[in-house]
Amino acid sequence: MMTRVCWLLVETVSRLLDQSERDVVRGDLAECGVRPGRALREVAGLVIRRQVALWADWRPWLAIASIVIPIGVLLSHASRWWGIITGVDVANYWVLWDFSYLAYPGYRNDVIRTAVWLGAAWCALAGWSWTSGFVVGRLSRRTLWLTVSLFALVVFAGTLGTGTVVHRAPNPPLQYHLILVVFPRLARTFLVILPMALGALRGSQRPVLPLGATVFGVLLLAGASVLVSQGLENSIVFGRGLAPPDPGPDGFVVSADDPRPWWPLSFVMMWPAAYVLAVAGRRGWRGKSAHA
Amino acid sequence: MQLGEFEYLMLTAVARLGDAAYGVAIRQEIEAATGRPCSLGALYTTIDRLETKGLIRTSMGDPTPQRGGRPKRMVRITSKGEQAASAFYEAVMRVSRGVAWASTR
Repeated sequence: MMTRVCWLLVETVSRLLDQSERDVVRGDLAECGVRPGRALREVAGLVIRRQVALWADWRPWLAIASIVIPIGVLLSHASRWWGIITGVDVANYWVLWDFSYLAYPGYRNDVIRTAVWLGAAWCALAGWSWTSGFVVGRLSRRTLWLTVSLFALVVFAGTLGTGTVVHRAPNPPLQYHLILVVFPRLARTFLVILPMALGALRGSQRPVLPLGATVFGVLLLAGASVLVSQGLENSIVFGRGLAPPDPGPDGFVVSADDPRPWWPLSFVMMWPAAYVLAVAGRRGWRGKSAHA
Repeated sequence: MQLGEFEYLMLTAVARLGDAAYGVAIRQEIEAATGRPCSLGALYTTIDRLETKGLIRTSMGDPTPQRGGRPKRMVRITSKGEQAASAFYEAVMRVSRGVAWASTR
Protein backbone atom coordinates (compact mmCIF):
# COMPACT_ATOMS: atom_id res chain seq x y z
CA MET A 1 0.00 0.00 0.00
CA MET A 2 2.76 2.44 1.04
CA THR A 3 4.75 1.43 -2.04
CA ARG A 4 1.82 2.21 -4.31
CA VAL A 5 1.24 5.56 -2.61
CA CYS A 6 4.95 6.37 -2.95
CA TRP A 7 4.99 5.56 -6.68
CA LEU A 8 1.84 7.60 -7.12
CA LEU A 9 3.62 10.52 -5.45
CA VAL A 10 6.67 10.00 -7.69
CA GLU A 11 4.33 10.08 -10.70
CA THR A 12 2.60 13.24 -9.45
CA VAL A 13 5.78 15.12 -8.49
CA SER A 14 7.52 14.19 -11.75
CA ARG A 15 4.69 15.92 -13.65
CA LEU A 16 6.34 19.19 -12.68
CA LEU A 17 9.24 18.29 -14.98
CA ASP A 18 9.22 18.81 -18.74
CA GLN A 19 7.82 15.85 -20.67
CA SER A 20 11.20 14.79 -22.15
CA GLU A 21 13.04 15.06 -18.84
CA ARG A 22 10.24 13.22 -17.04
CA ASP A 23 10.57 10.28 -19.41
CA VAL A 24 14.36 10.17 -19.04
CA VAL A 25 14.23 10.38 -15.24
CA ARG A 26 11.57 7.70 -14.89
CA GLY A 27 13.56 5.53 -17.27
CA ASP A 28 16.65 5.99 -15.08
CA LEU A 29 14.68 5.05 -11.97
CA ALA A 30 13.26 1.96 -13.68
CA GLU A 31 16.72 0.89 -14.88
CA CYS A 32 18.31 1.34 -11.45
CA GLY A 33 15.43 -0.45 -9.69
CA VAL A 34 15.50 2.03 -6.81
CA ARG A 35 13.05 1.76 -3.92
CA PRO A 36 10.00 4.03 -4.03
CA GLY A 37 11.10 6.14 -1.05
CA ARG A 38 14.46 6.92 -2.63
CA ALA A 39 12.81 7.49 -6.02
CA LEU A 40 10.55 10.08 -4.42
CA ARG A 41 13.51 11.84 -2.78
CA GLU A 42 15.45 11.85 -6.05
CA VAL A 43 12.58 13.21 -8.14
CA ALA A 44 11.59 15.79 -5.51
CA GLY A 45 15.22 16.94 -5.31
CA LEU A 46 15.38 17.42 -9.07
CA VAL A 47 12.03 19.25 -9.16
CA ILE A 48 13.14 21.61 -6.37
CA ARG A 49 16.41 22.37 -8.17
CA ARG A 50 14.51 23.03 -11.39
CA GLN A 51 11.98 25.33 -9.66
CA VAL A 52 14.71 27.27 -7.86
CA ALA A 53 16.53 27.72 -11.18
CA LEU A 54 13.34 29.10 -12.78
CA TRP A 55 13.09 31.75 -10.07
CA ALA A 56 16.56 33.00 -10.92
CA ASP A 57 14.88 34.64 -13.92
CA TRP A 58 13.44 38.17 -13.47
CA ARG A 59 10.10 37.55 -15.21
CA PRO A 60 8.30 35.56 -12.48
CA TRP A 61 9.32 38.26 -9.99
CA LEU A 62 7.96 40.95 -12.30
CA ALA A 63 4.67 39.01 -12.50
CA ILE A 64 4.49 38.92 -8.68
CA ALA A 65 5.46 42.57 -8.21
CA SER A 66 3.22 43.99 -10.93
CA ILE A 67 0.18 41.67 -10.89
CA VAL A 68 -0.01 39.07 -8.14
CA ILE A 69 0.39 41.41 -5.16
CA PRO A 70 -1.04 44.80 -6.23
CA ILE A 71 -3.91 43.61 -8.42
CA GLY A 72 -4.48 40.52 -6.24
CA VAL A 73 -5.07 42.73 -3.18
CA LEU A 74 -7.40 45.08 -5.11
CA LEU A 75 -9.35 42.13 -6.50
CA SER A 76 -9.54 40.68 -3.01
CA HIS A 77 -11.23 43.83 -1.71
CA ALA A 78 -13.41 44.38 -4.78
CA SER A 79 -14.63 40.75 -4.81
CA ARG A 80 -15.51 40.86 -1.11
CA TRP A 81 -17.32 44.18 -1.39
CA TRP A 82 -19.20 43.29 -4.56
CA GLY A 83 -19.92 39.78 -3.28
CA ILE A 84 -21.60 41.37 -0.26
CA ILE A 85 -23.50 43.86 -2.45
CA THR A 86 -24.64 41.01 -4.72
CA GLY A 87 -25.75 39.06 -1.67
CA VAL A 88 -27.69 42.03 -0.27
CA ASP A 89 -29.41 42.70 -3.61
CA VAL A 90 -30.23 39.03 -4.18
CA ALA A 91 -31.61 38.72 -0.61
CA ASN A 92 -33.70 41.90 -0.98
CA TYR A 93 -35.24 40.90 -4.29
CA TRP A 94 -35.73 37.30 -3.07
CA VAL A 95 -37.74 38.47 -0.08
CA LEU A 96 -39.54 41.43 -1.64
CA TRP A 97 -39.98 40.36 -5.26
CA ASP A 98 -43.40 40.82 -6.77
CA PHE A 99 -44.01 41.01 -10.52
CA SER A 100 -46.81 43.51 -10.01
CA TYR A 101 -44.21 46.04 -8.75
CA LEU A 102 -42.78 46.20 -12.28
CA ALA A 103 -45.79 48.30 -13.24
CA TYR A 104 -44.20 51.17 -11.28
CA PRO A 105 -41.55 53.03 -13.36
CA GLY A 106 -39.46 53.82 -10.29
CA TYR A 107 -39.24 50.15 -9.23
CA ARG A 108 -38.60 49.05 -12.81
CA ASN A 109 -35.75 51.53 -13.18
CA ASP A 110 -34.32 50.40 -9.87
CA VAL A 111 -34.33 46.76 -11.02
CA ILE A 112 -32.69 47.70 -14.32
CA ARG A 113 -30.07 49.89 -12.60
CA THR A 114 -29.23 47.12 -10.13
CA ALA A 115 -28.98 44.48 -12.86
CA VAL A 116 -26.75 46.69 -15.04
CA TRP A 117 -24.49 47.59 -12.12
CA LEU A 118 -24.14 43.99 -10.96
CA GLY A 119 -23.54 42.82 -14.53
CA ALA A 120 -20.83 45.48 -14.94
CA ALA A 121 -19.24 44.55 -11.61
CA TRP A 122 -19.12 40.83 -12.47
CA CYS A 123 -17.85 41.62 -15.97
CA ALA A 124 -15.14 43.90 -14.52
CA LEU A 125 -14.04 41.32 -11.93
CA ALA A 126 -13.86 38.51 -14.49
CA GLY A 127 -12.24 40.76 -17.11
CA TRP A 128 -9.59 42.20 -14.81
CA SER A 129 -8.83 38.69 -13.53
CA TRP A 130 -8.60 37.09 -16.99
CA THR A 131 -6.34 39.82 -18.37
CA SER A 132 -4.16 39.71 -15.23
CA GLY A 133 -3.88 35.94 -15.64
CA PHE A 134 -2.95 36.39 -19.29
CA VAL A 135 -0.05 38.68 -18.39
CA VAL A 136 1.11 36.29 -15.64
CA GLY A 137 0.95 33.41 -18.13
CA ARG A 138 3.09 35.34 -20.62
CA LEU A 139 5.62 36.42 -18.01
CA SER A 140 6.04 33.22 -16.01
CA ARG A 141 4.97 30.28 -18.15
CA ARG A 142 7.16 27.74 -16.35
CA THR A 143 6.36 28.91 -12.84
CA LEU A 144 2.65 29.17 -13.56
CA TRP A 145 1.30 26.74 -10.96
CA LEU A 146 3.15 28.52 -8.16
CA THR A 147 2.31 32.03 -9.36
CA VAL A 148 -1.40 31.21 -9.78
CA SER A 149 -1.46 29.55 -6.33
CA LEU A 150 0.14 32.66 -4.83
CA PHE A 151 -2.41 34.84 -6.59
CA ALA A 152 -5.27 32.73 -5.15
CA LEU A 153 -3.69 33.05 -1.69
CA VAL A 154 -3.46 36.85 -2.03
CA VAL A 155 -7.08 37.06 -3.22
CA PHE A 156 -8.40 34.98 -0.31
CA ALA A 157 -6.08 36.40 2.35
CA GLY A 158 -5.86 40.00 1.06
CA THR A 159 -8.69 41.20 3.29
CA LEU A 160 -7.58 39.40 6.47
CA GLY A 161 -7.60 41.73 9.42
CA THR A 162 -9.89 44.21 7.70
CA GLY A 163 -13.64 44.59 7.93
CA THR A 164 -16.38 46.29 6.01
CA VAL A 165 -19.12 48.59 7.28
CA VAL A 166 -21.46 45.61 6.95
CA HIS A 167 -19.20 43.44 9.11
CA ARG A 168 -19.08 46.13 11.76
CA ALA A 169 -22.82 45.92 12.36
CA PRO A 170 -23.37 44.56 15.90
CA ASN A 171 -24.81 41.02 16.06
CA PRO A 172 -25.79 40.59 12.41
CA PRO A 173 -28.68 38.16 11.85
CA LEU A 174 -27.77 34.55 11.08
CA GLN A 175 -28.92 34.68 7.45
CA TYR A 176 -26.40 37.45 6.84
CA HIS A 177 -23.66 34.80 7.11
CA LEU A 178 -24.73 33.86 3.58
CA ILE A 179 -24.27 37.44 2.43
CA LEU A 180 -21.09 38.21 4.36
CA VAL A 181 -19.23 34.94 3.82
CA VAL A 182 -20.74 32.77 1.09
CA PHE A 183 -21.31 35.37 -1.64
CA PRO A 184 -17.80 36.90 -1.36
CA ARG A 185 -16.30 33.38 -1.54
CA LEU A 186 -18.39 32.56 -4.60
CA ALA A 187 -17.35 35.84 -6.23
CA ARG A 188 -13.68 35.16 -5.50
CA THR A 189 -13.81 31.60 -6.77
CA PHE A 190 -15.87 32.03 -9.93
CA LEU A 191 -15.23 35.66 -10.90
CA VAL A 192 -11.58 36.01 -9.87
CA ILE A 193 -9.61 32.76 -9.41
CA LEU A 194 -11.24 30.77 -12.22
CA PRO A 195 -10.94 33.52 -14.90
CA MET A 196 -7.41 34.29 -13.71
CA ALA A 197 -6.35 30.63 -14.04
CA LEU A 198 -7.96 30.39 -17.49
CA GLY A 199 -6.26 33.61 -18.58
CA ALA A 200 -2.92 32.36 -17.25
CA LEU A 201 -3.31 29.10 -19.16
CA ARG A 202 -4.18 30.99 -22.34
CA GLY A 203 -1.32 33.45 -21.90
CA SER A 204 1.18 30.64 -21.32
CA GLN A 205 0.25 29.11 -24.68
CA ARG A 206 1.29 32.37 -26.42
CA PRO A 207 -1.81 32.40 -28.62
CA VAL A 208 -2.61 34.60 -31.61
CA LEU A 209 -5.45 36.80 -30.35
CA PRO A 210 -8.05 37.95 -32.87
CA LEU A 211 -7.67 41.74 -33.00
CA GLY A 212 -11.37 42.59 -33.51
CA ALA A 213 -12.62 40.42 -30.65
CA THR A 214 -9.81 41.66 -28.37
CA VAL A 215 -10.64 45.32 -29.07
CA PHE A 216 -14.33 44.61 -28.40
CA GLY A 217 -13.52 42.80 -25.14
CA VAL A 218 -11.18 45.55 -23.90
CA LEU A 219 -13.75 48.27 -24.74
CA LEU A 220 -16.42 46.30 -22.88
CA LEU A 221 -14.09 45.95 -19.89
CA ALA A 222 -13.21 49.67 -20.02
CA GLY A 223 -16.93 50.55 -20.00
CA ALA A 224 -17.57 48.23 -17.07
CA SER A 225 -14.54 49.67 -15.23
CA VAL A 226 -15.89 53.22 -15.61
CA LEU A 227 -19.33 52.13 -14.36
CA VAL A 228 -17.95 50.42 -11.26
CA SER A 229 -14.99 52.71 -10.51
CA GLN A 230 -16.79 54.19 -7.51
CA GLY A 231 -17.55 50.70 -6.24
CA LEU A 232 -13.87 49.80 -6.46
CA GLU A 233 -13.01 52.94 -4.51
CA ASN A 234 -15.60 52.08 -1.88
CA SER A 235 -14.23 48.54 -1.51
CA ILE A 236 -10.85 50.03 -0.58
CA VAL A 237 -12.08 52.96 1.53
CA PHE A 238 -14.60 50.93 3.53
CA GLY A 239 -12.69 47.62 3.40
CA ARG A 240 -9.02 48.45 3.90
CA GLY A 241 -9.71 51.70 5.68
CA LEU A 242 -6.86 53.46 3.90
CA ALA A 243 -8.84 56.70 3.81
CA PRO A 244 -11.77 57.73 5.95
CA PRO A 245 -15.07 57.99 4.05
CA ASP A 246 -15.53 61.61 2.98
CA PRO A 247 -19.17 62.55 2.36
CA GLY A 248 -18.38 65.78 0.52
CA PRO A 249 -20.49 68.96 0.72
CA ASP A 250 -23.86 67.15 0.71
CA GLY A 251 -23.05 65.24 3.90
CA PHE A 252 -23.94 61.80 2.40
CA VAL A 253 -21.31 59.14 1.91
CA VAL A 254 -21.30 57.42 -1.54
CA SER A 255 -23.02 60.22 -3.42
CA ALA A 256 -22.07 62.15 -6.54
CA ASP A 257 -20.12 64.91 -4.78
CA ASP A 258 -17.81 62.62 -2.75
CA PRO A 259 -14.14 63.28 -3.41
CA ARG A 260 -12.66 60.37 -5.39
CA PRO A 261 -9.03 60.01 -4.32
CA TRP A 262 -8.96 56.34 -5.36
CA TRP A 263 -10.68 56.44 -8.74
CA PRO A 264 -7.35 56.08 -10.65
CA LEU A 265 -7.28 52.51 -9.26
CA SER A 266 -9.54 51.59 -12.19
CA PHE A 267 -6.66 52.50 -14.51
CA VAL A 268 -4.35 50.23 -12.50
CA MET A 269 -6.83 47.40 -13.03
CA MET A 270 -6.91 48.12 -16.77
CA TRP A 271 -3.18 47.89 -17.52
CA PRO A 272 -3.23 44.11 -18.08
CA ALA A 273 -6.06 44.68 -20.59
CA ALA A 274 -3.89 47.29 -22.34
CA TYR A 275 -1.10 44.67 -22.48
CA VAL A 276 -3.49 42.09 -23.99
CA LEU A 277 -4.54 44.69 -26.57
CA ALA A 278 -0.90 45.47 -27.37
CA VAL A 279 -0.15 41.74 -27.86
CA ALA A 280 -3.14 41.34 -30.20
CA GLY A 281 -2.28 44.56 -32.04
CA ARG A 282 1.36 43.63 -32.53
CA ARG A 283 0.44 40.21 -33.92
CA GLY A 284 -2.16 41.81 -36.20
CA TRP A 285 0.34 44.40 -37.42
CA ARG A 286 3.00 41.74 -38.02
CA GLY A 287 0.48 39.65 -39.96
CA LYS A 288 -0.37 42.63 -42.20
CA SER A 289 3.34 43.39 -42.73
CA ALA A 290 3.95 39.76 -43.72
CA HIS A 291 1.08 39.89 -46.25
CA ALA A 292 2.37 43.18 -47.68
CA MET B 1 36.53 28.20 -18.98
CA GLN B 2 36.13 27.86 -15.19
CA LEU B 3 35.02 24.43 -13.98
CA GLY B 4 33.77 23.23 -10.63
CA GLU B 5 34.87 19.94 -9.08
CA PHE B 6 31.62 18.16 -9.88
CA GLU B 7 31.66 19.50 -13.43
CA TYR B 8 35.15 18.12 -13.90
CA LEU B 9 34.10 14.74 -12.51
CA MET B 10 31.21 14.64 -14.95
CA LEU B 11 33.31 15.61 -17.97
CA THR B 12 35.81 12.92 -17.06
CA ALA B 13 33.07 10.30 -16.63
CA VAL B 14 31.53 11.27 -19.98
CA ALA B 15 34.90 11.12 -21.73
CA ARG B 16 35.67 7.71 -20.21
CA LEU B 17 32.27 6.24 -21.13
CA GLY B 18 32.39 7.51 -24.72
CA ASP B 19 29.33 6.43 -26.73
CA ALA B 20 27.83 4.73 -23.64
CA ALA B 21 27.56 7.96 -21.63
CA TYR B 22 24.04 8.59 -20.35
CA GLY B 23 22.40 9.44 -16.99
CA VAL B 24 22.63 6.14 -15.11
CA ALA B 25 26.10 5.21 -16.43
CA ILE B 26 27.56 8.66 -15.63
CA ARG B 27 26.08 8.53 -12.18
CA GLN B 28 27.56 5.06 -11.46
CA GLU B 29 30.94 6.20 -12.76
CA ILE B 30 30.97 9.26 -10.48
CA GLU B 31 29.76 7.27 -7.44
CA ALA B 32 32.41 4.60 -8.03
CA ALA B 33 35.16 7.23 -8.35
CA THR B 34 34.21 9.39 -5.38
CA GLY B 35 32.48 6.89 -3.08
CA ARG B 36 29.73 9.46 -2.56
CA PRO B 37 26.12 9.26 -3.72
CA CYS B 38 25.22 11.37 -6.72
CA SER B 39 21.64 12.58 -6.81
CA LEU B 40 19.53 12.84 -9.96
CA GLY B 41 19.05 16.54 -9.24
CA ALA B 42 22.79 17.24 -9.16
CA LEU B 43 23.35 15.05 -12.21
CA TYR B 44 20.79 16.60 -14.55
CA THR B 45 21.21 20.23 -13.48
CA THR B 46 24.97 19.85 -14.03
CA ILE B 47 24.40 18.24 -17.42
CA ASP B 48 22.22 21.23 -18.39
CA ARG B 49 24.81 23.71 -17.13
CA LEU B 50 27.64 22.03 -19.03
CA GLU B 51 25.52 21.91 -22.18
CA THR B 52 24.76 25.64 -21.84
CA LYS B 53 28.52 26.28 -21.56
CA GLY B 54 29.04 24.25 -24.75
CA LEU B 55 31.23 21.65 -22.99
CA ILE B 56 28.92 18.70 -23.77
CA ARG B 57 26.17 17.86 -26.25
CA THR B 58 23.13 15.77 -25.40
CA SER B 59 20.63 13.83 -27.50
CA MET B 60 17.77 11.45 -26.84
CA GLY B 61 18.61 7.76 -27.24
CA ASP B 62 16.28 4.95 -28.22
CA PRO B 63 13.82 3.57 -25.65
CA THR B 64 14.79 0.22 -24.10
CA PRO B 65 12.61 -2.45 -22.39
CA GLN B 66 14.71 -2.39 -19.18
CA ARG B 67 13.82 1.32 -18.85
CA GLY B 68 10.12 0.65 -19.27
CA GLY B 69 10.23 1.82 -22.87
CA ARG B 70 11.63 5.21 -21.96
CA PRO B 71 14.58 6.89 -23.71
CA LYS B 72 18.07 7.66 -22.39
CA ARG B 73 19.63 11.10 -22.50
CA MET B 74 22.93 10.44 -24.26
CA VAL B 75 25.87 12.76 -23.52
CA ARG B 76 28.99 13.52 -25.62
CA ILE B 77 31.91 15.70 -24.63
CA THR B 78 32.82 18.49 -27.08
CA SER B 79 36.34 19.62 -27.98
CA LYS B 80 35.74 22.72 -25.85
CA GLY B 81 34.81 20.38 -22.98
CA GLU B 82 38.02 18.38 -23.45
CA GLN B 83 40.07 21.58 -23.35
CA ALA B 84 38.31 22.78 -20.19
CA ALA B 85 38.77 19.41 -18.43
CA SER B 86 42.42 19.27 -19.49
CA ALA B 87 43.04 22.80 -18.17
CA PHE B 88 41.36 21.92 -14.87
CA TYR B 89 43.48 18.76 -14.54
CA GLU B 90 46.68 20.67 -15.30
CA ALA B 91 45.80 23.27 -12.68
CA VAL B 92 45.15 20.59 -10.06
CA MET B 93 48.43 18.85 -10.89
CA ARG B 94 50.39 22.11 -10.73
CA VAL B 95 48.90 23.24 -7.47
CA SER B 96 49.38 19.78 -5.92
CA ARG B 97 53.06 19.51 -6.72
CA GLY B 98 55.14 19.05 -3.58
CA VAL B 99 52.30 18.66 -1.11
CA ALA B 100 52.30 15.67 1.24
CA TRP B 101 49.29 13.81 -0.13
CA ALA B 102 50.49 14.20 -3.73
CA SER B 103 54.12 13.14 -3.13
CA THR B 104 53.13 9.92 -1.32
CA ARG B 105 51.45 8.55 -4.49
